[in-house]
Amino acid sequence: MSHLRLYTAIYVVLFVFATLQVAVEYAGLLENAYLLAFGVIIVLSFVKALVVAGYYQHLVWEPRSLSYLIGIGLLAVLALTFAASYSIT
Amino acid sequence: MTDEHTHRDDANEEGSAATNGGTAQADGGTEADGGTIAPTTGDLVEGHGHEEETHLPPLGSLKRWFVTTNHKDVGILYIVTSLFFLIFGGVLALLFRVQLWTPGGTIMSGLGYNQAVSIHGLIMVFWFLSPFAFGFANYIVPLQMGAKDLAFPRLNALSYWAYLFSGILLGVSFLQEAAFPGGWTMYAPLNIPIYTPEVGATTSVLALLFFVASVTVSSVNFLTTMHRMRAEGLTLRRLPIFTWSILLTVWMMLFAFAALLAALMVLSSDRILNTTYFATEQGGSLLWTHLFWFFGHPEVYIVFFPALGVMAEVFQTFSGKRLVGRKWFIASMVLVAVQSFIVWMHHMFLTSINLQVKTLFMATTIGISLPFDLMVFSLIYTLIKGKIRFKTPFLFCFGALLLFIIGGITGVFLGAVVLDYEFRGTYWVVAHFHYVMVGGVTALIGGLYYWYPKITGRMYDEFLGKLHFAAYFVGFNLLYFPMFVVWETPRRVFVYDPAFTFWHRVATVGAFVLGFSFLIMFYNMYKSLWAGEVADGDPWPFSTTAEWAIPSPPPLENFPGLPSYSSGKLTFGGVDSASAIEGATASSDSGTAAADGGVAHADAAHAHEEEHADHASVWPFAISVGAFLTFLGLSGVTTGGVYPVVLLVGAVVLGGSLLGLARESFHAPDRPVGERWPFSGVENGKLGMWIFLASDVVLFGAFIGSYLFMRVAYGWNEWHLVPHNSLPGLVNTYILLTSSFAVVLALVAAEKNSKRGVVVSLSTTFVLGIAFLANKGIEWYELYHEGTWLSTSIESSTYFLTTGLHGAHVVVGLLIALFMITRAWNGAYLDDERPIEYFGLYWHFVDIVWLFLFPLFYIL
Repeated sequence: MSHLRLYTAIYVVLFVFATLQVAVEYAGLLENAYLLAFGVIIVLSFVKALVVAGYYQHLVWEPRSLSYLIGIGLLAVLALTFAASYSIT
Repeated sequence: MTDEHTHRDDANEEGSAATNGGTAQADGGTEADGGTIAPTTGDLVEGHGHEEETHLPPLGSLKRWFVTTNHKDVGILYIVTSLFFLIFGGVLALLFRVQLWTPGGTIMSGLGYNQAVSIHGLIMVFWFLSPFAFGFANYIVPLQMGAKDLAFPRLNALSYWAYLFSGILLGVSFLQEAAFPGGWTMYAPLNIPIYTPEVGATTSVLALLFFVASVTVSSVNFLTTMHRMRAEGLTLRRLPIFTWSILLTVWMMLFAFAALLAALMVLSSDRILNTTYFATEQGGSLLWTHLFWFFGHPEVYIVFFPALGVMAEVFQTFSGKRLVGRKWFIASMVLVAVQSFIVWMHHMFLTSINLQVKTLFMATTIGISLPFDLMVFSLIYTLIKGKIRFKTPFLFCFGALLLFIIGGITGVFLGAVVLDYEFRGTYWVVAHFHYVMVGGVTALIGGLYYWYPKITGRMYDEFLGKLHFAAYFVGFNLLYFPMFVVWETPRRVFVYDPAFTFWHRVATVGAFVLGFSFLIMFYNMYKSLWAGEVADGDPWPFSTTAEWAIPSPPPLENFPGLPSYSSGKLTFGGVDSASAIEGATASSDSGTAAADGGVAHADAAHAHEEEHADHASVWPFAISVGAFLTFLGLSGVTTGGVYPVVLLVGAVVLGGSLLGLARESFHAPDRPVGERWPFSGVENGKLGMWIFLASDVVLFGAFIGSYLFMRVAYGWNEWHLVPHNSLPGLVNTYILLTSSFAVVLALVAAEKNSKRGVVVSLSTTFVLGIAFLANKGIEWYELYHEGTWLSTSIESSTYFLTTGLHGAHVVVGLLIALFMITRAWNGAYLDDERPIEYFGLYWHFVDIVWLFLFPLFYIL
């Protein structure tokens, strides 16, 4: 598969995933099982983000150190967010 | 060219005499044993030639200092400017020490005192300490790692000018009713306009924001340089210890300052746009402390690490002994750099955070003292094993070690929850952190003496140096030690128990002694600049790092040839074949710097005539003037008057000069071979973009984290989503995804050499970006007319500000896209599509952020 076809396929997948997130909302899952719906929607966001970073930003073809660089930044703010939120529970 | 000639001729004459036993080795690895370090002659000629070709005015010309992008010039500018801010902050300190002469005050009003104390803290931490260290980092690090300059010289100049103008902006804030009077930590809710309504208080916040922008640019630049432009053979393990300390400092800066940037953006928004983050009763003030100290604790090490690096470097040189346990010293620094991000809540033991988290952070805090213990013992043992020469740089660094030990031990008290309940908000804290921070300054002053001959080509006066140390050390301890004695004095107020008066007077006297000691230093520096003994390339026996293997001051492009450590010794392989022929490179006897004094050789395989690099651009200065006016205009824009006009003028100057920078042709120095772990295979520009994006991840992460934190504080399920419907958000998701796809197509078109394809794809991106903003605009317009706006509630504040920041990123992306479309129209990017790729990295990142904002603000 040429890169262009791969990029196009990814575009379609991203489009579908975004639609799925709203579909979860419209299906009423948020009212019935909030945590499950929350999990599904956030996981979909992470998957989309990974796909964009991996293929549109070419991270899968770059040295792994670039992924670690971004990963460290992400880890830092996740630590901040979770520890701060936990501190007031 | 007069001065330049003079210095170089001096160095030239002295060069052949420089044979006093120093060695230059990658890691400062072994004891000196008589290797020869001497500047060569060919490089001097080369240096002159470059200056003429690059249109860089001579050192004596005022113009040079406005246009230079050379790392050594920028380093000097940093050092001189930071010393100016030392005087600024120092005079403020003297003022409030006079105020403290008697309990209840003497010469200042309450507001005046609060301003003096707050701005003293801000200046010393931000505008003096780090920039002072970064003056050395700018000057010395490229020399130690064998680079001609930083990776992005114009951005380096931009960092400097942004630093200077942010400091001027802070000074201006005093003239706008009052500078920020709420303490250097800017705690909420004191930091919002109800409590600090002065325009100048907003200006102070914006000045710090401006400064953080400078730091971010600097971090990206240094990280790219240090990971991509090291000499061949100079692996990270072999990196000199000062350069190591700067490397770790910059890594911490990248992530920590991004969190501060988020905090300051939110605060600026609270002050100018009337959002309600920090005024919110549930969680508002805690949010500030979390964001501030997540930055603030790494900042302690950001400030202190360079001093540690100087100490280690100076101890090695003046004891003639390799740092004992060097590998473990470095490992300890790495450990501290990582741990520094998980200790921040020890600054919050007296807030309402829960006991479990306090206990956890007490453990991590006590834990971080362990690697420091190792470093301190390593330094002490190095001195025990070596043969010490008590020169001024050594005295300052040794003094710094003693002060740091006192500062460190008294800090352990504060890390314990129970003791902190007693000590918090008292002079114990003040004394502790001054022993640490000003202890760090002490080492940096040692660094100033140490590198003075390298930078100026002249030796300072040793007697005056020692006199300075004596006055400094006595003044320091007279000033800060009494604060431990009367530790029960409450911090930040000038009313205290009259029983403490004697000790406060001792401290005030000490402050003046300390201040006076700097007059000796300034006199010494000034006098020696003109009348000091001429210094040769290596005035210090047993120095081990590469900056001492070249003349003092070094020529414009530093080295006579491409530095390499591949043979285990520093050699200057034949970059300049003419020099090589004349025996002017390291292959000649006089040019060798090697641990064993062996003869190094020019490596013919590396013979490479690099294109001449540029060293001058006026745009960094112009951009900073524009940004200065923009921030000044912003500070009072809500009050009307002249401010909106200043804002407009600033924006025009800023935009115009950014365009000028983008259009300017500038050839940055690069190196054909070298150590690049772990980023070999990632070109400088691309790595710079990724490093910037990593800091942007933290910026957006902190914004999103703030939203989540405020929602947890508010009650997750009670929170109301601001948009009524997720469909406009979904449409915008489709639009952004499509625009990202269009950028991908632009890159594919450029690779296929299709000019039309590039223009059409980028134009599609541009149109879609506009559509995104229009859709968002309609949504905002409707909300506004329903009565929901920035200050309506914490829900609306977080929604508008976070999506607004994202929208601002879109606007910046569109401006870049517009610029690129016009260039592509003229046929750009077909031979070199990298700019499209780098723009794509940014644009896709903006897309990714939206992929999280959409569900968080529209669905969940």
